[in-house]
Amino acid sequence: MTESLPLALSLLYQLGATASFLFLAAVGLIIILGMMNIINLAHGELMMMGAYVATITHHAGLPFPIAVIVSFFFVAAFGAVLELVIVRRFYGRELGALVVTWGISLVLGQGALLFFGPFMPSIKIPGGSFSYGVFSYSVYWLILMLACALLVLALWIVYSRTTYGLQAKATMQNAEMAKSLGVPTSRIYTLTFSFGAGLAGLSGALLAPTATIAPFMGQQFVAPAFITVVVGGATNVIGGAIGSSVLLAAVKTPIGMALGAFSGSVALLVAALFIIRIMPNGISAQLQKYLDRRAQGGWR
Amino acid sequence: MKSIVHLIGGEADIGHTRWFWIGLAVAIVLLFFYPTQVSSFRASNVAFYLLNVPLGLGMALLWGYCGVLSFGHVAYFGIAGYLYGIIAGNMPGNPLGPITGMIGGLVGCGLVAAIFGYFVFYARVQKWIIPILTLVFTLLLETFLGQTAGYQWRVGSVLLGGYNGMTGIPWFQLGGLVFEGYAFYYFCLVIVIACYFGLRMLMNSRFGQVTIAIREDELRAELLGYDIRARQAAIFVLSAMLAGLSGLLYVQWGNYITPSQVGLLQAALPVVWTAVGGRTSLLAVVISTLVLNWLTYTLSSQGNQYAMVIIGALLVVTMMFFPRGIVVMLAETIGRRMPRRTRAET
Amino acid sequence: MSESKDKKKTDIEDSADTANAQDRASSLGPKIKRRTFIQSSGAAAVALAAPMVVPGLKVARAAGDPVKIGHIEDLSGNLAVYGVQKYHAAQLAVKEINEGKTLKGGPVGSGGLGSMAKFAVAPPVMGAGDKDLKYVNDGGALTGAGMAFVEDDDVLVDSGESGLLGREVELIGPDGQSNNNIWQQLTRRLIQEDKVDCLVAGFTSAEREAIRPIVDQHKQLYIYTNQYEGGVADSNTFCTGAIVEQQVIPVVDYMIQKFGPRVYTIAADYNFGQLTAAWTKAFAPLVGGEIIEEEFVPLSVSDFTTSIARVQAAKPDWVFTLLVGSNQSNYYPQAAAAGLEYPMASTVNMAQGYEHRRFKPPSLNRMYNCVNYIEEIPTARNRAFVKRWYEMFPNDPYIGQMAQNTYFSIHLYALAARLAGTTDQEVVKKALESGLSIEAPEGAVFLEPSTHHCSHYIRLATADANHNVSFVREWPSIQPWWLQRVGVNLVKHKEYKQYIPGEDPFFKMFAK
Repeated sequence: MTESLPLALSLLYQLGATASFLFLAAVGLIIILGMMNIINLAHGELMMMGAYVATITHHAGLPFPIAVIVSFFFVAAFGAVLELVIVRRFYGRELGALVVTWGISLVLGQGALLFFGPFMPSIKIPGGSFSYGVFSYSVYWLILMLACALLVLALWIVYSRTTYGLQAKATMQNAEMAKSLGVPTSRIYTLTFSFGAGLAGLSGALLAPTATIAPFMGQQFVAPAFITVVVGGATNVIGGAIGSSVLLAAVKTPIGMALGAFSGSVALLVAALFIIRIMPNGISAQLQKYLDRRAQGGWR
Repeated sequence: MKSIVHLIGGEADIGHTRWFWIGLAVAIVLLFFYPTQVSSFRASNVAFYLLNVPLGLGMALLWGYCGVLSFGHVAYFGIAGYLYGIIAGNMPGNPLGPITGMIGGLVGCGLVAAIFGYFVFYARVQKWIIPILTLVFTLLLETFLGQTAGYQWRVGSVLLGGYNGMTGIPWFQLGGLVFEGYAFYYFCLVIVIACYFGLRMLMNSRFGQVTIAIREDELRAELLGYDIRARQAAIFVLSAMLAGLSGLLYVQWGNYITPSQVGLLQAALPVVWTAVGGRTSLLAVVISTLVLNWLTYTLSSQGNQYAMVIIGALLVVTMMFFPRGIVVMLAETIGRRMPRRTRAET
Repeated sequence: MSESKDKKKTDIEDSADTANAQDRASSLGPKIKRRTFIQSSGAAAVALAAPMVVPGLKVARAAGDPVKIGHIEDLSGNLAVYGVQKYHAAQLAVKEINEGKTLKGGPVGSGGLGSMAKFAVAPPVMGAGDKDLKYVNDGGALTGAGMAFVEDDDVLVDSGESGLLGREVELIGPDGQSNNNIWQQLTRRLIQEDKVDCLVAGFTSAEREAIRPIVDQHKQLYIYTNQYEGGVADSNTFCTGAIVEQQVIPVVDYMIQKFGPRVYTIAADYNFGQLTAAWTKAFAPLVGGEIIEEEFVPLSVSDFTTSIARVQAAKPDWVFTLLVGSNQSNYYPQAAAAGLEYPMASTVNMAQGYEHRRFKPPSLNRMYNCVNYIEEIPTARNRAFVKRWYEMFPNDPYIGQMAQNTYFSIHLYALAARLAGTTDQEVVKKALESGLSIEAPEGAVFLEPSTHHCSHYIRLATADANHNVSFVREWPSIQPWWLQRVGVNLVKHKEYKQYIPGEDPFFKMFAK
């Protein structure tokens, strides 16, 4: 029915778009969950906050890219306050943190409704469209794919090249030891939570043009984010997030294209269950094993 | 007889003093007399608070006593409720229908939990992944049930009903006695009391002690020769059946169930009740389940748009100042002031 | 039980005291005397009339006891977007009743508006050929001789009393929190504790189905004001929103004529979406259309990249979007950004969630929507209504279809109670079944007695590239006919169920 080359390109584009959606939904969560072991149920509301900040500043006259950067810093600052006032009491009590962040999400969601009303006028999706064969594409999703690639690069630099990144990794592996070696662990925790929150805000802002700006918009990201994080695993958070978003998108896209949206989302959930059954520690553990084996091979 | 007293009074839950037992007895007597003083509407409201208790208790058992958190226990709540609706709905007019539905619902959700538990515990997946796995399971169930609106989705004469839900689910019935109104209240109350004391005895038994040992140190328990996978799976099934019991009572209370009962919002609730009360105590969870349900209803019945903000803020504050649960920590404070020599079991 | 009997007696006594008010009230409608009405309204009323002859019955209730209208909507949570609008509509209606205002209206007989109009509105008739289907009557010129279609600018008139039957009207409006369990608890409270005279409640069909068993258990008079998938046949429930056959069939016919026969349906994967899609699938072939693809989207989906590619691969003439909720309305900006330029039709968007105000143009360019109300309706009576609304609630973003339904439904209740001369629920139900019509902001609405659904003034609204709304076609009265076709007659036989198209042998034939 359709020529094969345009179809293949369309599938590739869909794969990229779905993977970037999953990656953006998960990236803030994965920093906080993977590095601090805090299940942050307010993740969706932090993304909502990012979207609101971007929308409000954009309507006030800021160019969209600047508005996105503003939301990163705004939500990061909010995350820092949240960590200092509430979250820091819950280290080592992950499940307490889960309830507290759920409480925070209720307050933020309903608070936004009371403060800003039911809807906000949305942001026009930047970039136009182009077409090839019967299919046409949105430029903005290509920008989002690029943004994801840049984010990965930035994360890699932060966590392997900066002092903060190295100290953070050390703290996560053994907080006591890091502390006795002079790492300011308390500040590291604040920074990490703030960074994770900021990333959630950034993703919310990036996805804002494609979404309805409403107080409970964060809920749509929660389930995909958690699934992506769990499939990715905590051994190597960034590698895991990339691997799982691409893998899950690779399952969802062809099935969704052939059988419709319902089958696509069911396929995603079922795939998640099976991947976890086969790889209980997530994709990142598998990846790490492979990298270790290669490194050993290199020595030999 | 003596051993039963010993089992009930054991260390696995708060409350050992004579005053505690007197207080509990008074509370139970008051609950028994409550319906005589109020309208059937009030009684049915309190029955709703009561019917959530087994779900909370199942959560406390699994999370507090076994150390495994499930974020999707509402799935078993839903499975049992739907099974009851299907079975009892297909036997209209038959007095044995509801009891068959009850048994079918419990067995069904127990079976599903056993398969899922085998999947999870025998694979030895990491602890922190279990909440997410259970959550994915319940979301799958919700997605499936949500698309069953069409006429082709019927079992016998009962329509699954999609997001509109399954309607016309019959009351529970024993012989000629139909449990509705006040009778349903007593039905719930008796089940709650039986669950509480049953679980308290179970946790004081050798089985319970081993469970707690596994929670404290899995490796050590395993090296002592206990099959921790089987124990965890068994507790998982038991707690799922408790959740199922709540589901059965729920569909009888409202004669109705929808897929949103197994959705994200509902999934968080039992976790919240358990954490607020204190997951290491069965009684604490009973109390917090009742109080939080009452609070949610009371706030919303006043047409207050701030209800969710208040509940959220309350959770945050409670968890900040009472990290091990408000009831558990209050009980400890009182316990410290009371002389320990009046222990009931002596 | 004995308590409620006492209440009925006192209501009747009260009504005798306020006979003057009722005479004025009933004179609003065509000349039907209240006495004739009560005599003819069946056994219930006769049984109730008996206590009237008992002499010296003491009036137990204080004279100033208010008429209670229970109103549940979601004021918080996910659905608050719509719930707050509906709550404001109820507040406006109650305020107007207490200030001595009422919407024009009265009984027009059981044939409905059609019986007085020049052109009868008929259910669809299968003709000899496939395309020979008379599905709805256009109603002819708006200036036709039938009274139904006379446009009346000033529909809010003096009721002759402040309040209802000499009593103040009180609105009790708790918050359902977008949570079905709370809905059930609140319904029990309003019925059993507050003993409301009328319950107006429900946004989603799930909420309605959650509370309907409780309503039926207590024989509570209940008005459901939402647009929905149709099929509720319940003696205690009155559905005043538009239903599938009133909205889908006109729009599908128009779209096929204008843009072509190949239809791609993309629908929310729940009851409303599935049943509406089933209707479309059954109806499209009869007017020469063809559903080339049906796609159902779970409510949680918010990324539509794959769906957009599927639409393009299928190359339809137009797309029928039955998307519900804030996640799913993301489809429109995403499709516009991907360069998807097919004409679209819907029955839910714009009039409910004001997407044309929220999304940047041209997301909804060439969107066609059959509505019974939309804020932009240009008639004088609607402009007056919109003005009254924003005077009371200056900060509201929009007045939706459901809000208008709630508004006229409460006035409709007041009209029925005045006709009945009492707030006794059984009598008011009979009054509502007497063939009432009311001049709502949308136009004349007729409550069809046998199915408890309303005929509506349906307009086909469309948005252009700048999201300006215009109206391309109007049907002054479309009857809800499907339940009649199934054989429902609630005046004669009590029923308490919801029918779905699959159960209807006619529908299968319809669907081939």
